[in-house]
Amino acid sequence: MYVYLYDDFLRQKKYDLLVKAMETRLTDFGIAGKIIRLQNFTNAKAVIDDEINRGAKTIVIVGNDRTFGNVLSRAATCGILFGFLPVGPDNSIAEVLGIPVGEKACDILAQRRKIKLDTGWFNNRYFVSRLHILPSKITIEYDEKFKVSTNYKSELIICNLQPFSWKGEKQEYMIHPQDGKLEAFLLPITKKSLFGKYKYEEPSVFPFEEMIVSAKTPFVVDADGKISKETKIKIRLAKKRVEMIVGKERKF
Amino acid sequence: MFQKSSSKKDEYTSNVNYDNNDNVETVVGPSVNVEGDFSSEGNIVVKGTVSGSVNTSKLLTVEDGAKIFANVKAGNAHISGSVKGNVKVVDRLDLSSTAQILGDIVCKVLTVESGALIQGKVSMKGLEIEEKQTKKTSSLKSKVKDLVEDNDEGETV
Repeated sequence: MYVYLYDDFLRQKKYDLLVKAMETRLTDFGIAGKIIRLQNFTNAKAVIDDEINRGAKTIVIVGNDRTFGNVLSRAATCGILFGFLPVGPDNSIAEVLGIPVGEKACDILAQRRKIKLDTGWFNNRYFVSRLHILPSKITIEYDEKFKVSTNYKSELIICNLQPFSWKGEKQEYMIHPQDGKLEAFLLPITKKSLFGKYKYEEPSVFPFEEMIVSAKTPFVVDADGKISKETKIKIRLAKKRVEMIVGKERKF
Repeated sequence: MFQKSSSKKDEYTSNVNYDNNDNVETVVGPSVNVEGDFSSEGNIVVKGTVSGSVNTSKLLTVEDGAKIFANVKAGNAHISGSVKGNVKVVDRLDLSSTAQILGDIVCKVLTVESGALIQGKVSMKGLEIEEKQTKKTSSLKSKVKDLVEDNDEGETV
């Protein structure tokens, strides 16, 4: 049995036609199922656990990167097969998973090409796409082996599924998802102009499996859109945590 | 006009070209200090400061202005900055004109650009001739010792 979790933004009129076309296609494939509309404060894990108890076998997330992150950050431990139907803009994760945006995504879902994905884990929570620490004076300990510090305030970006690239003056950096490691980009901020524009130094890049980020004053952590303030966080890679239906054209 | 913006979008984008399939390197930025056993399975680029030890089986690049206060082990190395510690390279070590090394070097192939500074012992693998010479000189030395001892015994008799 399939259960479809629709993001709230799909209520907008401009998506009506597309959503109807997708629903028709799913019915044609014989994989139509129950539709649940997510609200801002819906606990995805509770909803999914409930549906598993009622006999759900596949949970399909319908929306964009934000929807995908929100659902899987809570529901990564549910131990059920996930699918993804990307709709609208902001769908970079779908490209990585090899799922086309819109109606054609239904074909990928019907093909059921399953793969287990690595996720990131921090302070008892999962993040699927990206973790972002906003500018603050942080110290990082990698894999309990070496410590990294700078004299400036720094931003830290840890990438899992969401692609990240940096076009520096000399070099272009790029990460590849699902390579058995998480990649941390440390961006020290050397200047801040009158207009609040940051000037970044070239990034430091560290592939890792476990790291501890700490600071004397609380820093802001944005993990898949969930914002919290912390003074110490432990981040590590949770290998093969989420089973997902992906496309043939996936990037890993 | 006076809106606050982090301007990140100008500098990093999410449009990634996956065709360029280079290994992700470990990069230590110019203002970054690393302390401890710094090891990586891939290439390492050092632009800042590292103290402790550096270890990689692939290429180590130490850029101009970078400082390493550590023993270094690498598959290949290209050094333009300064290293205070022993450098052990499996294959090829390139020292550019700005390189400064205070420590012993072990490598297979060494290229030194004019202007590079080295203070320490340089040992290179595969020097069979030198080993034979040392054997010859050691055997000659033992023969001379025997002769001297024989002469000494003759005089006492």
